[in-house]
Amino acid sequence: MNQADVSKLISQLRIAVRPNKRHLKNVDGPEGRLLKLRKTVTALVKHERIELFYNRADEARGYAELLISNAIRHGDRHKATMELADYWLLEKQLVHKLFKVLVPRYENSNISYTRMFKAPRDYPGIFYRKSVLELRGNPFPVLTPDNSQNRNLLHNVLLDEARKEFRREKLANLANKLAAETENATPSTPAQVPVTEQPEQSEEAPKA
Amino acid sequence: MAATTKLFRKSLGALTQIQQYRSIAKLPTSASSAQRNELFNLEQRRQQDAIGRVEKIEVRYLGLPEDVTLVMNNNISTPYNCAQHLSEGHCKRSALALIDGSVPWDMHRPLQESCTLQLLNFNVSDPHIVNKAFWRTCSFMLGAALQRAFKQEANLQLHSFPGPNIKSGSFVHDIVLGVQNWEPTKAEMRAISAEMVKLAAQDLRIERLEVDLDLAKEMFSDLRFKSEQLPSIAQQHQSRVTLYRLGEHIDISRGPMVGSTRFLGKCTVVAAHKLANEGASNAFYRVQGVALPTGFALNHFAYGLLEQRAQKLNSARLPTEPFEEQRQMQLS
Repeated sequence: MNQADVSKLISQLRIAVRPNKRHLKNVDGPEGRLLKLRKTVTALVKHERIELFYNRADEARGYAELLISNAIRHGDRHKATMELADYWLLEKQLVHKLFKVLVPRYENSNISYTRMFKAPRDYPGIFYRKSVLELRGNPFPVLTPDNSQNRNLLHNVLLDEARKEFRREKLANLANKLAAETENATPSTPAQVPVTEQPEQSEEAPKA
Repeated sequence: MAATTKLFRKSLGALTQIQQYRSIAKLPTSASSAQRNELFNLEQRRQQDAIGRVEKIEVRYLGLPEDVTLVMNNNISTPYNCAQHLSEGHCKRSALALIDGSVPWDMHRPLQESCTLQLLNFNVSDPHIVNKAFWRTCSFMLGAALQRAFKQEANLQLHSFPGPNIKSGSFVHDIVLGVQNWEPTKAEMRAISAEMVKLAAQDLRIERLEVDLDLAKEMFSDLRFKSEQLPSIAQQHQSRVTLYRLGEHIDISRGPMVGSTRFLGKCTVVAAHKLANEGASNAFYRVQGVALPTGFALNHFAYGLLEQRAQKLNSARLPTEPFEEQRQMQLS
């Protein structure tokens, strides 16, 4: 078969793309809609973390992923990729950022390049859901709470104690084993050694 | 519609059986329990009526979003009422209050004088006070869950629960059952865990009430172990006894406890160990479990390790050991 392997033609995105359409209608028609998305992708590359309405972020996210993925695959000597970058990035200095900053950052990554969070919306306010869209590895403080550092939190107290108990048991087992071995070593007559080995094993079985 | 229900029934046959069993088990709310609740209500109302003229106190709230001074009603307003002045988020998140920077105070216990107030949740930098209260609440809830899970014929009597010790890896409730050779199966443990989860889902407010020894004796007159424990507890607290109520379930505890059952997140009742025989046909059992507050996501492997550890017999003081010392432990 001479069919092309589709997965090699198009970059596979590492995010789940919602198959139904988002409501992003614009007075200028499809062109205006695309301009909005281009502005969003540009802002994402420029600021690395942006807060906006959910639908717009969700759709722009796919284009940003595609852009970075293609830049990594083809590099800056590829005409089509350059045209793509030229289209999506309205501020042209960001093309340099894409190839010189973002490509090295994500070269060896095996997860998605962007992250999206649901954000609270103002009450009372516009009903639209809001979200935060960010590039991974950005310099800002993380948005998700980190429960692993504070060892006083309840689950950490429980886990620490479980770890201590496990080590205590292991040490006790080791000490028992050593004691059993030294006991067997002390009888000096070599003829007794094979005889004493068997009870040693049978003793240890119930301990383990 | 009929076909789907049939399928549903077939696939969840076991579950419906358990549910039927539970609904049977819940029916006989004993007359004594109803009477106890009635006395609790009456005393609560009497204490509220006894307040008389409403006096104002100044409560200095310290914390986010900013330090403020609230003017509240003496002996009426609770830390929860203060949280209501701040935001909905404060009401939902706060599990325990801290008065004057050192005294832990239940969320639904009226304030008694001007004071400073901090609201604690499970994510504060040093949460050991609120963790301890949570662990105590888990033991208390386990008592309520056991009461709901067992039938009348099982002859269940709650004995007591030792003081909360998180480092032991499990929370405990000691009970007396009418069988001497009960070896709980996994399904039985799961049914009790399910009762705990149901309690958490019901979002029941945990009420606190201080009563006189005489009234406490009247309330617990039909429970042998409780009435045995009452005099020594009252002796330590100027003949007052602190009671906690959760739904229909009333128990003695020093407190403090968290404000609601809603704070119980992941929870498993893992083991019931037989401790000793009691009389001719009864026996002491120690029921143990492990739980995490809501909002703490722990992966299944790590939680499995905690469950395994909680299965070992907890070394807290046994109910069969001398009573006074044990009570002191419980009240710590």
